[in-house]
Amino acid sequence: MPWRRHVPGLLDNLIWFILVGVILFFATQSDKFLTPINLRNILAAAAVLGVLVVGQTFVLITGNFDLSTESTLGLSALLGLWLIVPAVAPTWGAGLLWNPFVSIAAILLMGAIIGWLIGSLITYGRMNNFIVTLAMLLILRGAMLRFTEGNAVNGLNFPPAQVFYSLGSAPAVTLPWLGKLPVAVAAMLLLFLIGYVILEHRPFGRDLYAIGGNRAAAVASGIDADKRIRQVYVLSGFLAAFGGWMLAGRVASVQVDLGEGYIFQVMAAAVIGGISLNGGRGKMIGALGGVLLLSTIDRGLNLMQVSVFWIQVIQGLIILIAMFIDAQKVRFRAPVVDTGATATTAGTAASTAPAD
Amino acid sequence: MNDPRLGNVVEMRDIVKTFPGVRALDGVSFSVRAGEIHALVGKNGAGKSTLVQILTGLYPQDSGEIFVRGEPIERMTTTRAKDVGIALVAQHARFVPGLSIAENVFAGSLPRTRGGFVDWSRLHRDSAERLRRFGLEIDVRRRMEEVTIAERQMIEIARALFAEASVVILDEPTAPLPKHEVRMLFEFVRRQRERGATFVYISHYLEEVFELSDRVTVLRNGQLVGVTPTSQLTQPTLVRMISGTDVERFRRPARGGLGKPVLEVAGLSRPGAYEDLSLRVHAGEVVGLTGLEGCGNGALARGLFGLEPLGVGRVLVDGKPYRAANPAEALRRGVAYLPRDRHGLGIVGIRSVRDNVSLSVTDKLANALGFISGRRERSLVGKYIASLGIKTPGMGQAVENLSGGNQQKVVVAKLVATAPRILLLDEPTQGVDVQAKVEILRIVDELTGGGVGVAIVSDELGELTDVCDRVLVFYRGRLTREFRKGVDEMTPARILAAIEGEVEEGVDAVA
Ligand SMILES: Nc1ncnc2c1ncn2[C@@H]1O[C@H](COP(=O)(O)OP(=O)(O)OP(=O)(O)O)[C@@H](O)[C@H]1O
Ligand SMILES: [Mg+2]
Repeated sequence: MPWRRHVPGLLDNLIWFILVGVILFFATQSDKFLTPINLRNILAAAAVLGVLVVGQTFVLITGNFDLSTESTLGLSALLGLWLIVPAVAPTWGAGLLWNPFVSIAAILLMGAIIGWLIGSLITYGRMNNFIVTLAMLLILRGAMLRFTEGNAVNGLNFPPAQVFYSLGSAPAVTLPWLGKLPVAVAAMLLLFLIGYVILEHRPFGRDLYAIGGNRAAAVASGIDADKRIRQVYVLSGFLAAFGGWMLAGRVASVQVDLGEGYIFQVMAAAVIGGISLNGGRGKMIGALGGVLLLSTIDRGLNLMQVSVFWIQVIQGLIILIAMFIDAQKVRFRAPVVDTGATATTAGTAASTAPAD
Repeated sequence: MNDPRLGNVVEMRDIVKTFPGVRALDGVSFSVRAGEIHALVGKNGAGKSTLVQILTGLYPQDSGEIFVRGEPIERMTTTRAKDVGIALVAQHARFVPGLSIAENVFAGSLPRTRGGFVDWSRLHRDSAERLRRFGLEIDVRRRMEEVTIAERQMIEIARALFAEASVVILDEPTAPLPKHEVRMLFEFVRRQRERGATFVYISHYLEEVFELSDRVTVLRNGQLVGVTPTSQLTQPTLVRMISGTDVERFRRPARGGLGKPVLEVAGLSRPGAYEDLSLRVHAGEVVGLTGLEGCGNGALARGLFGLEPLGVGRVLVDGKPYRAANPAEALRRGVAYLPRDRHGLGIVGIRSVRDNVSLSVTDKLANALGFISGRRERSLVGKYIASLGIKTPGMGQAVENLSGGNQQKVVVAKLVATAPRILLLDEPTQGVDVQAKVEILRIVDELTGGGVGVAIVSDELGELTDVCDRVLVFYRGRLTREFRKGVDEMTPARILAAIEGEVEEGVDAVA
């Protein structure tokens, strides 16, 4: 069956075919779809998701997960505003009235520290990454409640909070036809570009692929896998906080549940974009495709006035499809060619056996 | 040996198989007679594993026919292969290491009591009885991870045989085996043959082919070179059939005037592994470290590379105190190590040849801005593909798609690229064909010419005597004997005697 050999390569680039197909489909369904304003909206809606996906991709390539990023995102958005606005209604802040730049520096630092903490628990503590980041997801969500006592923090009409809106909503460049592209979109695209260059062209990126592909062999090749894993979690936490800054500038007020449920979309975008949950495979550019696809479908269904119920079902289906594709990659991988010539671990264990 | 009345149990005709960029099999015919031991040999990448994988249904062939006992098999699948009694014994034995031998033997069909619980006493009785039928006296309560690799292979062969397999294929069974276990395995295989089993046997060790097989099929570049009764072959003719040319055995000339010691070990002990070791490796020298499995030579290499604790004692590299907490540190000090466990520690299978070869030196390939220079990387990887003769359709090929021997060459390339001061090689030529063996040993020799000190952990005594300046014999964790080329009579036979613990005059006996 000669077609089989093309399957893995096709699966890796599937995302772009799907994206074009989906765009064509929506274009036939609604004449409002291929308009500059709608495409701008799609990109704008993709910005925060994209920032999280860049961070998550680094983590996934090493064969780990970071479930906590949606909480880091929400907490940073909330804290960022909370620290600069007055305590009383309608802003409901801490009343500390911090300088907004200091506040932003603080949340970015916090994101990095959260990531370092997670990475340390996983590497020094030899704990399971899934459980550690799940626990962190809950802990940070709890912290959000604690800071605001349930109030929504509101920075909309508070002048110093403009710094948030300048990242989240302000226009950056004006493109022909498409119009004014928000700073957030430009920032996301730039982050994808940087992420791409790091993964493909820096020793750091190669190390990550090797760790995800075969950690023991990576270590035996001189790679400090534990250090690299801490670094990817720092990156992921930092980018989640950056996403928080961006998100705070896109919403009028920050609720305690801001960011909840994002992680599903993040994982779906990464996996459908070709990042393997088993580690070691996938490209940053594919993940961008995944982000654009999810955001396109979301806007398209909205335009078609599909009910929220169906939108959720369809999103669930997309996640399933993404997982299915991931599973196929393993299935269509050629079986291990070399059945011979491998010492088993028992062999090495036996060779250290004591002499009596 | 072969009863001419017995027909072919297996017949494969004109098998063609292509992978992207590679024609692995180009119209190969292969047949096996009932009751024979049929050796399948050829260079790395010749198509041996692919052929037997097609026979056991792991891959479909592009074209060609398969007959089993005269019956054509339309589509071979793994279940079909099992039904018609063909089994492939893989090195990565499909065993669960934490379970007992008995549980593994009965995996999937454990006997139950009426209450539905596992009937342990019956399990142990039945599995011991089954294994005994195949002449294996083994305590079935032991956990799988505690048995030796040879025992595992014999258990796996036995398991295949009592699942009614009549043709058992062994793909390089002896590559990871210490020599004395090879003997055990061979006796076992011969015994099963007496009882009617048929074997296909793939190996790069030609002595084994001559010792064990009745007929030999030789493949080269995906094509059939010939089928010959083993008794009508000599080693040089076989080598010529395999490589298409004469291959000179590589004998490294003794090099006079050794350099300074690059590695000095004094009074090094690690409980349970080795005791009071003292040795030196000089610049430009090749030292063999040999002994029985578990005698401490492998542990020393792993300890020096930072994969295992080194123990207490003094170690100097280039005259400076040395101790590596991890391989990264070892590599920084110029100590490189080729692991015995290729799949576990050597290759990152899903990544490309390029990524694997440059893995330890990506920093050095980076330009001033910290980006890997594509040009420098391509020229580095290209250089090793050419000099080691790595057979691959391109640098982008995933290493897991290469044949076993070519994977080994990729690992060698990765090490050599680090420009080490000391090279520790653990069974460097396992799974490597005659010609590639010579190529690898030649690279080792070239490195010593440039002042590298090499230590080879191996029990390939012929190879050690060919390339080593000295061979050190380990016995139960201690160094018991030293052979120096040109001074002592350094022959495989004498080294073997020392390995097995014969104490010679003038050498301290070991408790
Ligand atoms: N899954 C695969 N994808 C691509 N190429 C493959 C695949 N499997 C095998 N090949 C190629 O087919 C050729 C034959 O490989 P095969 O593993 O059969 O060789 P071999 O004779 O077993 O060699 P060795 O002695 O090194 O194990 C090689 O060139 C190998 O690179
Ligand atoms: Mg093979």
